[in-house]
Amino acid sequence: MPQLGETVSEGTVSVWHKKVGDEVSTKEALFDVSSDKVEMEVPAPGNGKLVEIRVEQGRTVPVGEVIAIIQRDGEEIAVAQPTVSMEASSADDFLPSSAPTIAPAKSAPRVSNGSAANRDGNGNPLSPAVRRLVAEHGIDPAAISGSGANGRIKKKDVLAHLRGAPAARSLSPSRPRLAPRPMTGEDVETIPFNNLRKRTAEHMVRSKATSPHVLQAVEADFARVDHARRAASAAWKRREGYSLTYLPFVAKAVCEAVRDYPHVNATINGEALVVYRRVNLAIAVDLDFDGLVAPVIKDADEMSLHELARAIRDVSERARSSRLAPEDFQDGTYTISNSGVFGTMITAPIINQPQVAILSTDGITKKPVVIEGNDGDAIAIRPVGVLAQSFDHRAIDGAYSAAFLARVREIIQTKDWTAVLD
Amino acid sequence: MATKPKAAAKGKGRTKVSPKAVALANDDIGEVTRLEMWRSLLEIRHVEQRAYDLFLQNLIKGTSHLALGHEAVATGFATAMKKGDWSFCTYRGHHHTLARGASMEGVLGELMGRECGLLQGKGGSMHLTSVEHGAMGSYAIIGAHLPIAMGAAWKAQYKGTGEVSTCFFGDGTTNIGAFHEALNMAAVWKLPVVFVCENNFYMEYTPIGDVTAVENPAGDRAAAYGLPKIVIDGNDADVVYRTAQQAFAKARAGDGPSLIEAQTYRHSGHSRADPAKYRPPGELERWLKKDPVPRYRDRLAEFGISKDVIDGIEEEVLAQVDAATDIAKASPPPGLELIAKDVWADGGVAWRN
Amino acid sequence: MAELTYREAVAAGIAQEMRRDEDVVFLGEDIAAAGGVFKATEGLLDEFGPVRVRDTPISEQAILGAAMGAAMTGLRPIAEIMFSDFLAVCWDIVANEIAKSRYMTGGQMTLPLVIRTANGGGSRFGAQHSQSVENWAMMVPGLKVVAPSSAADVKGLLAAAIRDPDPVMFFEQKSLYPMKGEVPDGELVDTLGTAKVLRDGGDVTICALAAMVPRAMKAAETLETEHGIKATVVDVRSLVPLDTQTILSEVVKTGRLVTVEENPRLCGWGAEVASIVADEIFWDLDGPIIRVTTPHIPLPAADALEDATMPSADRIVREIVEKID
Repeated sequence: MPQLGETVSEGTVSVWHKKVGDEVSTKEALFDVSSDKVEMEVPAPGNGKLVEIRVEQGRTVPVGEVIAIIQRDGEEIAVAQPTVSMEASSADDFLPSSAPTIAPAKSAPRVSNGSAANRDGNGNPLSPAVRRLVAEHGIDPAAISGSGANGRIKKKDVLAHLRGAPAARSLSPSRPRLAPRPMTGEDVETIPFNNLRKRTAEHMVRSKATSPHVLQAVEADFARVDHARRAASAAWKRREGYSLTYLPFVAKAVCEAVRDYPHVNATINGEALVVYRRVNLAIAVDLDFDGLVAPVIKDADEMSLHELARAIRDVSERARSSRLAPEDFQDGTYTISNSGVFGTMITAPIINQPQVAILSTDGITKKPVVIEGNDGDAIAIRPVGVLAQSFDHRAIDGAYSAAFLARVREIIQTKDWTAVLD
Repeated sequence: MATKPKAAAKGKGRTKVSPKAVALANDDIGEVTRLEMWRSLLEIRHVEQRAYDLFLQNLIKGTSHLALGHEAVATGFATAMKKGDWSFCTYRGHHHTLARGASMEGVLGELMGRECGLLQGKGGSMHLTSVEHGAMGSYAIIGAHLPIAMGAAWKAQYKGTGEVSTCFFGDGTTNIGAFHEALNMAAVWKLPVVFVCENNFYMEYTPIGDVTAVENPAGDRAAAYGLPKIVIDGNDADVVYRTAQQAFAKARAGDGPSLIEAQTYRHSGHSRADPAKYRPPGELERWLKKDPVPRYRDRLAEFGISKDVIDGIEEEVLAQVDAATDIAKASPPPGLELIAKDVWADGGVAWRN
Repeated sequence: MAELTYREAVAAGIAQEMRRDEDVVFLGEDIAAAGGVFKATEGLLDEFGPVRVRDTPISEQAILGAAMGAAMTGLRPIAEIMFSDFLAVCWDIVANEIAKSRYMTGGQMTLPLVIRTANGGGSRFGAQHSQSVENWAMMVPGLKVVAPSSAADVKGLLAAAIRDPDPVMFFEQKSLYPMKGEVPDGELVDTLGTAKVLRDGGDVTICALAAMVPRAMKAAETLETEHGIKATVVDVRSLVPLDTQTILSEVVKTGRLVTVEENPRLCGWGAEVASIVADEIFWDLDGPIIRVTTPHIPLPAADALEDATMPSADRIVREIVEKID
C-alpha cells in the first residue's frame, strides 16, 4: 500500500484494474486506492506480470502492506509467503483492518484520574498515558479502537486516532455499536457511505471531539475588491479562461493577516503550540455534492494574487477530476472554506485537523451600509460578506482570533486591489 | 594544648627540686612535657565530667561513652606523637580527640548537637574527628579502624613521609576478626602503625576474662604476629609516654608495627545507660586508688613542681571548660541545610541527574 | 581501535591510570604475582612493581580498611575483592566506614578509592561465588556504583572511577571476562553516572546492566524479527549516580519499561528504576512495568539450573511478548 500522505496510515483498494496474469506497466493504472483524504489511481511500480493479488477490492490495509506481487520480466518468484513490513510495530499491524467505524457522537466525557470510568469500550483499564491523552484531548476512549490484547487501547492508538486513523485493528470482537435504526420500505432510500463520506464523517467527529470550537464572524465591505475584480474581469477571463472570483482576494488577505497574527497558522503538539512560518493554505472543495476535500496550496503567503487565483483554480479542477496526489493533502496550516456561491450568509466551519483555525467565506451581497465621513454619516450600497472563523480555543483565545479577523477585514476593505491586479 | 615546644624551658624550676626528685634526676621526660601531660589529663578529666553533668541536665542526647579513668593512655600517646601523625580511636574517643588538640567546645558542642560541634552535629559522640589535628576519626563498629589505621600507615610507608599511625581500641576488640587481619597484614608489610589496646577489663558489660582464651587479650596475641608482648600500666602517663616513644621510634625506623596492652579502668559504666552494677564490690575502689589524675598530681609533686603551678593549671583548665560549656550552650542547632551536604566530594548528596 | 577482552580492559584501565598518577596503588588477593584469579590484572606487577601492586592475605577487612586509610591520607587505592560475594565479610568497611565517613565528619574526609570485584553468575560456581550484589551497594548512601557491560566501558569507566574523588564500587561481571570488544586507542576516560542507549526502538524500553546487556540486545533482535516489537535498549552502566534523565526520556518515548536484572527479585535495582518511573512519568506509561529478574533464590550451581534461573535472552523475549499488549 503506497504512502498516501503523512497523516494517512492506511488505504482501501477500491478497484483492481488488472487481474492476476495481466501484464502491468508503470504507465497504466494498476488499482485505485482511497483514504480519508484522497482517491487516486496507482500505476504499477515496475513493468512485469501481476502474479498475485493479496488484498482484494474493498479491503483496507496499513500503508506499507504488500498488496500484490509483480514478477519482473525474467524474474523468478520463489517466496509466496506474505512478507511483513518492518515499519509495523506488532503482529496486529499485519492483520487486515476492517473499515473504520464511527463512534456514536457522544459528548467527550471528562476523564478524571482514577475514576472507575477509566476503561475502554472492551472493559480494559486505560493505561496512564492513554488516560492523560484522552483527558488532554477530550476524547471518548470508546471512540478509539485498541490494538492491544482484548482490544486494549495503547498510547499509539490514541495518537493514531488523533491523526485520524486507527493504528491497527483490534484482535477482539468489535464492541456493539449504536447504529441508526434500520429503515426500509418504499419511503426511504438507504445510501451507503462511500469511503470519502466515511472518512469525512470520522474526521469531522474527531475534530469536534478534539478541538473546543469557537465561532467568530465579521462583516467585510468588499467594495474595493469588487471594483478591482470587475475592472479586471474581462481581460482575466480572456487570458486565463475562467472567471476571477472573490476567493483569491480573501486568500491573499488571510495570508497577509497571518503575518501579524501567526498563531492561527499553527498546530497543537502536546502542551505546545507549533506555529508555522509559512502558510500552506488548504482550500475546501466540494466534489459536486459527492464529498469534500481540502487540497493544499503550499507557500501561499509567497504568492501574488494571480498565483493564488491560478493555484486555487488548479487544485479545484484536479479535485473534481480525482487527479490530486497524496502530496496535495499534506502539510496544510490553515483552511478556507467557501460556500459563497449559494449565497449563504454565515457558515460555522469545522476545523481541519490538526490545524487550529478555519475561515468560511459566504455570499457577498449588496447591502445598505452606513459610511462615516467628515460630513456626517451616509448610507451607501456596498457588497458585503461575512467572514466566519472557527478556532481551537485550546490554541488561542477570542481576542486574538478577533484581532486576526479584524485585520483580514481591514486588508479586504483598504488594500489597493486594483494596483495589486495590475 | 600540647602546643608548647618541649625543649624550650628545660631546667626551669630546677631550684625547687626536692631531694626525692634528685633521686629521679635522670628523668627522661622533663618538667615541660610533664606539665603538658598534666594539662592534658585535666582537660580530659574535666571535659568528661562536664559531659556527665550535661547529661544530667539533659543537654546531651543519645549515647555517650565516657573515658573517665582512661586519661593517661590518651595523654601519654598523644604527647609522644608528632604533628602530622595520625590517631584512630573508637566510640569511646573523647579523650583521644581532646588529647590531639581538638577544642573543648568542639567536643562538647558535638555531644550537644550544636553547630559549633567538631562535626557540625552530623556525627555525634561516637564519631569525633578532627582531621586538622590528625584525629582521623572515632569508629563505632568494633575493629573497623584497625585496618584503616594500617592503611594510613601504608600511605606513610609508600610515600616515605614519616608519619606514624596509632590505633586505640578496647579489650573486646581483640576478639574480632578485623583485629587479627590488621595485625597480620601490618606485620607482613612492616607498616608504621602502633596498635594500642586499652584493656579496662570489660567488653561492654562482660568481664573480658570470661570471653577470652588468654589472660592478656592483646599482649598474649602479639606473638601470633611475630611481635613482642607489651603490657603496661595504662594509668601511669609517664609509663604510657615512654612506651609510645619506643613504639613510634620503631615505626619510624621502618621496623614495623607494635601491639601494646595498656591496662586501665572505666570509672563509669560502659555508656550513659549503664550503672555498672556487674562490677564486684570493691573493684572500683581499688582502681580509684590508681586513678591516673591524682597519681600524676603526686608524680609532679615528687618531681618538685609546686602546688601553685599544679593547681594553677587545673584552675585554668576548669575555666576553659566553663568557657567551652558556655560557647556550646550558646551555639545554635545545626542548620538543616547540612542534611544535604557532604555525601560526595563535590559537597552534594545527589545520587541521580 | 584495538580488540580487547573485558578482562584485558581491566588491566588496561588500571595501567593507564597508574602510569599517569603515582598515587594510584593496587592491592588484593592474588592480584600481583598470579595476575588475578580471573587473569584480569596480568602484567601490572611487571610494569609497576610490588610496592604499587601488592598481594594481600585473605583478609577482606584489612584490604578495604587499608584502602580507606590510604585514601583518607592522600593515595588513590584500587582494592580488589576477588568475588563480590566476599563483600559480605567486609561490608562493615564498605557500608559503615567508607560510605559514611565523609558525611559523618562534616566533610573532613575525602575517600578517592575504587573497590573492584568479580560479580554475577553464569560460571557454575554456585550460590557463594555467583551473586549479583550491585544492588547491595546501591542502597548505601555514599557509594558510587558502576557495572560495565563491554571492554571499552570497563576501561573508560574504570579510569573515571579511579579519578573520581569519591568511593566507587566497580562490579565486573565475571562471565563477561572473555568477551571481546573494540576499545579506542589512547587515553580513555568515560563519565560516571551516564547510561548509554545502545538500540532505538519505538515499542518498549529495556534497561539492563552488565551481563544482562548483551542478553537484552539479543532479545531485542528476536523481538523485532520474530514478533515485530521494536525495543530500545539502555545500558544503565551506573547505578549511582543514576542517569535517570536518559532512562526517563527513553521510557517516555515508548511508554513501556522493562528492567532486566541479574539480582534476585526483591529490591533489585530495577525496583528503584520502576519506582522512579512510576513516580515521575506515570502519565506516560502505556502499560505495566515489567521486571525480568533472577527468582528470589540462592543461585544454583548446575548449568541446567543456573541457565534456567538467570534471565536469558529467550526469557526476556517471552516475558515481553506475553506482557506487552
